[in-house]
Amino acid sequence: MKRMKFMTTLLCAAQVCLAAMAGAAPLSITLPPETAAFKPSALPGYQLAQQKCSTCHSADYISFQPPGLTLAQWTAEAGKMQHVYGAPISDQDVRIIGAYLAVTYGSAQASDAEVQAASNPSAGQPPAAPAAKVDAMALLQGNACLSCHAIDHKVVGPAYHDVAAKYANDPQALAKVTSSIQHGSTGKWGEIPMPPFAQLSADDLHSVATFILHQ
Amino acid sequence: MKFSFVDNGKPSRRRILRDAFTLALAASPLASLAKAAAETRAADENAEDVTFAAGPRPLVQYPQKRPLTLVTTRPPHLETPFAVFNDGPITPNDAFFVRYHLANFPTSIDPDSYRLTIKGAVDTPLSLSLAELKALAEPIEVVAVNQCSGNSRGFSTPRVFGAQLGNGSMGNARWVGVSLKTVLEKAGVKADARQVTFRGLDKPVLPSTPEFIKALDISHAMDGEPMIAWSMNGTDLPFLNGYPIRLVVPGYFGTYWIKHLSEIEVVDHTYDGFFMAKGYRVPDNDCFCIAPGTTAAKTQPISKLPVRSFITSVKHGDVLPLKKSVVLKGIAFDGGVGVNKVEVSIDGGKNWREARLGQDLGRFSFREWTLPITFHSKGATQLMVRASNSAGETQPLRADWNPGGYRRHVVETSHVTVA
Repeated sequence: MKRMKFMTTLLCAAQVCLAAMAGAAPLSITLPPETAAFKPSALPGYQLAQQKCSTCHSADYISFQPPGLTLAQWTAEAGKMQHVYGAPISDQDVRIIGAYLAVTYGSAQASDAEVQAASNPSAGQPPAAPAAKVDAMALLQGNACLSCHAIDHKVVGPAYHDVAAKYANDPQALAKVTSSIQHGSTGKWGEIPMPPFAQLSADDLHSVATFILHQ
Repeated sequence: MKFSFVDNGKPSRRRILRDAFTLALAASPLASLAKAAAETRAADENAEDVTFAAGPRPLVQYPQKRPLTLVTTRPPHLETPFAVFNDGPITPNDAFFVRYHLANFPTSIDPDSYRLTIKGAVDTPLSLSLAELKALAEPIEVVAVNQCSGNSRGFSTPRVFGAQLGNGSMGNARWVGVSLKTVLEKAGVKADARQVTFRGLDKPVLPSTPEFIKALDISHAMDGEPMIAWSMNGTDLPFLNGYPIRLVVPGYFGTYWIKHLSEIEVVDHTYDGFFMAKGYRVPDNDCFCIAPGTTAAKTQPISKLPVRSFITSVKHGDVLPLKKSVVLKGIAFDGGVGVNKVEVSIDGGKNWREARLGQDLGRFSFREWTLPITFHSKGATQLMVRASNSAGETQPLRADWNPGGYRRHVVETSHVTVA
């Protein structure tokens, strides 16, 4: 057994495992951790890009585009993701994300009137009445959680069943899951990072974390 | 294993050479020559180095690969460092470029339980194990270039969105497998067949994203050239190049070379999925090009590789010796007609001389070429290379343009200084 373990370690040395010792040998690889991150910004599109774009691709898909592209070009690109590749983003999300990308990676300035208008769609409107308490499923849907997670199977991130099982006997479960959602997390379930969902209120975080831990 | 950035902080040999050269000449009577070199260098930054919003790209270490240039992390896209193409006409497996479209692909594949399905307009649908596939017929072999449709996209002017590739999304390998025709004949193609579609194990993350499925016309699928390969340069395909089997379509762009090939379907219509009907299309005209900013009236799926050639032994900014013989070396290839001439200019395209072609590994392969040159005058100059094939097709001196940044094939120019 010890010898086998040694062999496995050897065979896994170069991110590649030939798992079985004889006959059938599944070929397994480990991809390097994802280190690319979105450039921070005070614009609301920063959070949205982290949460929505990261579902399907790493941040370097954006940072390695040509420099100097315009607001119109970046907004069109975000629109392409919505219409062509089925990204779960609204028309308003497209404008908010486009503005962030154009300022951060392109030729636009945060102070440009068009950037401000795209980033603050509700400016000038009266503040919404405090929302009634929404249920956890609505929060999961409304915050794109379900783009990457499902209850009973792994999508990009782990199944909620598996999260619940992992923390079943952990007295700190609620605090840990709440923190992972609020601040983001990496390395617990693989190499694809979970983006932070800092916009959620304490109540919402509590509802979502409690829901997940009961799956 | 760690995600490693390799050699990222070190200045390149080229830069060291250039800088040493500039320093040495700065205070000398050859100031005008130094100025010419500096101007060449300024032009280089645009001519050679693709620029990105995030600056230069690192080398990264992926499974079964030597350090390759990072294009994107997830889905992974890695380029072959260009110097590899000077080592020989065959691109080693560990240096071969990697390109996925969709992030949801397995990281473990069991060859014993692997199945290739053949279905649709066939007499007998099949589900073949790898052993069954390999036993269908005597294996066939071809040396063929796999080149990304968007190879060199980063040089598009004006720039276009998409993976910003240098010249490293191509490679040449010896492929062994079974002819697609043999497999389709085994299943029995029905008379109303129009196209054959191919998909692999790589899938979209979201159900709303189009699947990566490609199609070939039935006449092409049955002409004996496309093959299902299980061996690359004498060994199993590397995982990230499509283990355990991939479609090889000699002479055609890499978009058709489906990795982890799992399903073949014969259809009685022209397949209209996204990656055929909307993506990977070029203007439907003689040059497959349009003026920047305009829209093509009609488009067609991208298909064959145009003639291309590169100088591999000299890089932008290199300093070459005066009155000493230097052997220039490079590669040329096309979509399968066969390169029959490579010409080199050392004076920016005024005069051309014919290079000697190397070993012929087949009409789909890289063909090496060499040309001994002795420079007789000092200063900045431009080396250019132009190939042609036996159908008379050659490379344009000015790059054409299309919105996808596809099939770049302009005559390549290296800015050097003779001193």
